[in-house]
Amino acid sequence: RGGGGAGGSTTNPFRTLLDLQGALRTKSVYVLDGGGGGSGGGKGEAGEGASGSSSQETIDPAMDKRLPVFAHLPQYKDPKHFEKEFSGVALGGGGLTLSSSSAARQQFHPAILSLGMQYASGTIRGGNARAKAMLRAFQQVIRDYEPPTGSGNSNTAASGGRPPTSRSPKDDIRHDLDHRIIKPAFQYWTTQCRPHSVSMGNAFTFLKLAVAALDRDMALEEVKEILVETIDAYIHERIDLADKAISKYASSKIVDGDVILTYGCSNVVEVLLLEAARDKGVDSFRVIVVDSRPLLEGRALVARLAEAGVECTYILLNALSYVMMREVTKVFLGASALMSDGSVLSRVGTAGVALMARSNNIPVLVCCETYKISNRVQLESITGNEMGNPDDVVIAGCAMDRAGGSSECGGGDGSSSGGAKQTNSIISDWRAVPNLKVMNLLYDLTPSEFVSGIVTEMGILPATSVAVLLREMNPQDTNTAFMGDM
Amino acid sequence: RCHLTGSTAASPTSIDPEHRTAVALPVAAIKSLLGVIQRSKATTMMGLQEDLRGATEEMMTFATESPGSLQLLGGRSHIALASGCELFMKYVTRAFLELPDFAACIAQVLERGERFAGISLAARDRIAEVGQAFIQDGQTVLTHGWSRVVSNLLVKAAEHRHFSIVVLEGRPDAAGAKAAKVYADAGIPTTVVLDSAMACAMESADLVIVGAEGVVENGGIVNKMGTYGLGIAARELGKPFYVAAESYKFARLYPLNQSDLPPMGPAAKLNFVDTASWEMTGGLVGKAKAPVNTDKDGKVDASSVPGVVQFKPNQIKVKNPPCDYTPAKYITLLFTDLGVLTPSAVSDELIRLYQ
Repeated sequence: RGGGGAGGSTTNPFRTLLDLQGALRTKSVYVLDGGGGGSGGGKGEAGEGASGSSSQETIDPAMDKRLPVFAHLPQYKDPKHFEKEFSGVALGGGGLTLSSSSAARQQFHPAILSLGMQYASGTIRGGNARAKAMLRAFQQVIRDYEPPTGSGNSNTAASGGRPPTSRSPKDDIRHDLDHRIIKPAFQYWTTQCRPHSVSMGNAFTFLKLAVAALDRDMALEEVKEILVETIDAYIHERIDLADKAISKYASSKIVDGDVILTYGCSNVVEVLLLEAARDKGVDSFRVIVVDSRPLLEGRALVARLAEAGVECTYILLNALSYVMMREVTKVFLGASALMSDGSVLSRVGTAGVALMARSNNIPVLVCCETYKISNRVQLESITGNEMGNPDDVVIAGCAMDRAGGSSECGGGDGSSSGGAKQTNSIISDWRAVPNLKVMNLLYDLTPSEFVSGIVTEMGILPATSVAVLLREMNPQDTNTAFMGDM
Repeated sequence: RCHLTGSTAASPTSIDPEHRTAVALPVAAIKSLLGVIQRSKATTMMGLQEDLRGATEEMMTFATESPGSLQLLGGRSHIALASGCELFMKYVTRAFLELPDFAACIAQVLERGERFAGISLAARDRIAEVGQAFIQDGQTVLTHGWSRVVSNLLVKAAEHRHFSIVVLEGRPDAAGAKAAKVYADAGIPTTVVLDSAMACAMESADLVIVGAEGVVENGGIVNKMGTYGLGIAARELGKPFYVAAESYKFARLYPLNQSDLPPMGPAAKLNFVDTASWEMTGGLVGKAKAPVNTDKDGKVDASSVPGVVQFKPNQIKVKNPPCDYTPAKYITLLFTDLGVLTPSAVSDELIRLYQ
């Protein structure tokens, strides 16, 4: 923007953009509105009001809280400010209340709505937890599924389940399930609640394939039974059993006297450490858990490990270099997703831990189930990421505030500030401060050079072999020029 | 056992590389397993696998724990033996499910087994074929330890090109010195240097070629102690580091560092001899001015040989692991019977071989 200067004329941004388009001879110009995708405002910026039309209003650049580099990412939606967005699920003073006037409430199964709220509020975190919860919710929905009335083809067990002789596409249970139930639910979670993780995406793809693979003329009850069983099998094999296999391979690398470092709270790392403690005895190794704000997920891990009798140390990220150089013998990390070039997408901070380990020649083992492998390749942490609540970053107690004699610091656990007392810190009121932006990224990418080995249920592999795994798991997808002799 | 020792002597006292048979230890083991299949009385595939597994374990135990094993393995690890046998078993028992008749199964298994043994035997020649192209006229090749694969490659290459070889001495078994004799006999100008001269000699070398006891999953290798240092020096000085190894040496191991290697075979006892002072004292055994003492078995009492440094018992620890681990990042390419591979392709092959 040319900049209007102090109190200058308000320029219609569209006109400027059109000029820009002309000047660059571009085919189209994408307006990166912080809200994106028609879902309305994104950041709850004070003073902007209903943000759906914000593209027409002037924004003083100094007060613009959007980050240009990350404008392509889904921006954080605070559930409290946008209760309407959640289609009838509102956070009242006491908790969840369902607003009865919402059309969406009639459209979605309550399991979908409540899971959506859990995603949005961060109650369920972690790749495995989110994918499992999603699949369980789908199981519930499938069990309660009724084909659309008026199709004249609903089969019930009472009627003996005799399948009709032919079904038009609109009576096809598979089509109906896919288009009316499954896809909209997934879209709802992703656009209204929280962007989906790779684990959720892969599980969703699997479910769609399972639905499509059903026999066209199958009876309803059979359809339900098969789908529910298939989902159970997926969870059991690709998550639970995979975690067991990963524990076995990873434990074989733990020797007596090891000092193991881990970051945050990874489900599979927790499973493997508890398993190793059981097999080798709690005295054979000790664990250092590195944690970071604002989520402070590591606390839960430390609590559970300590309960199991494992000797634990808890540090924050800034103490990393000290322990790394002196004590750590191995690093075990979890992953949200594995890219096909072997780089690891994981909780923000993981890349730093891996880098520090690498430069101290400490082996880094990333533990990841194969269902989290993405056939995307990402080269840095910007193109694919997620923005969290910026308030989580600025509002928390700290030692300096306490020493300064300010009133009670609020929100020391990093949760969002609703109801927490404000500190006197200047940035607790950051929205009113000009030229100040706050960023809370949730993921980062660890390059494959920092990873000594990836532990999957297929064994320990070098990072370069993730693409091979992808090929072996999906032979039908390989496009090769050498198909000549087939 | 005859196969393994390669000799008909009941207890081999020493096996010179020049006089050892041309057959590699794992290949001999594979041939024994073929014999096991032929003589097996099993009537099911699982029974056959049990027989094979039992035979493999017997061989492993013999190779690592029997009194003659040090000479047998020559201070090497038994990784290749284990991986060769396991790959053989996987290869032969793979496509058996379709055949209903067990006798037909056995026939097919035997055929696959013969093929595998044939491939392994021919592996060395195939490796020489692909590897020779990497040595050019006028170059200096640095090598370490005694490896039939490498010597085959170098001798074959020397038929078409003129190059020279620098060999590290190879304590404690003088493997390098023995290898040097083989190269010299083949007409290649050869120089022997101390092991500790490896980094210094790297400067005037153009490439490094070594063999491997085992190739691990991430593309790294386990080889005679000293290979790791050679790899680091090569990378630092920008020289290519090539490994010549047969594909049956691909093992399902994933070492994270030197201490993460599986337990090795027996370690040779080290004697510390001040050879530099031999010139002055004339202290070679048999030429000593003072008579050397022998004990009742006729063995020479080391303390009586001039220049030998003796420690008080249990005063000083001496460690001599036979092998070290060279991580994949120091290796440029591997010459195998499957072709020329990059270290990351090893995992690809292993996934396929062990599928």
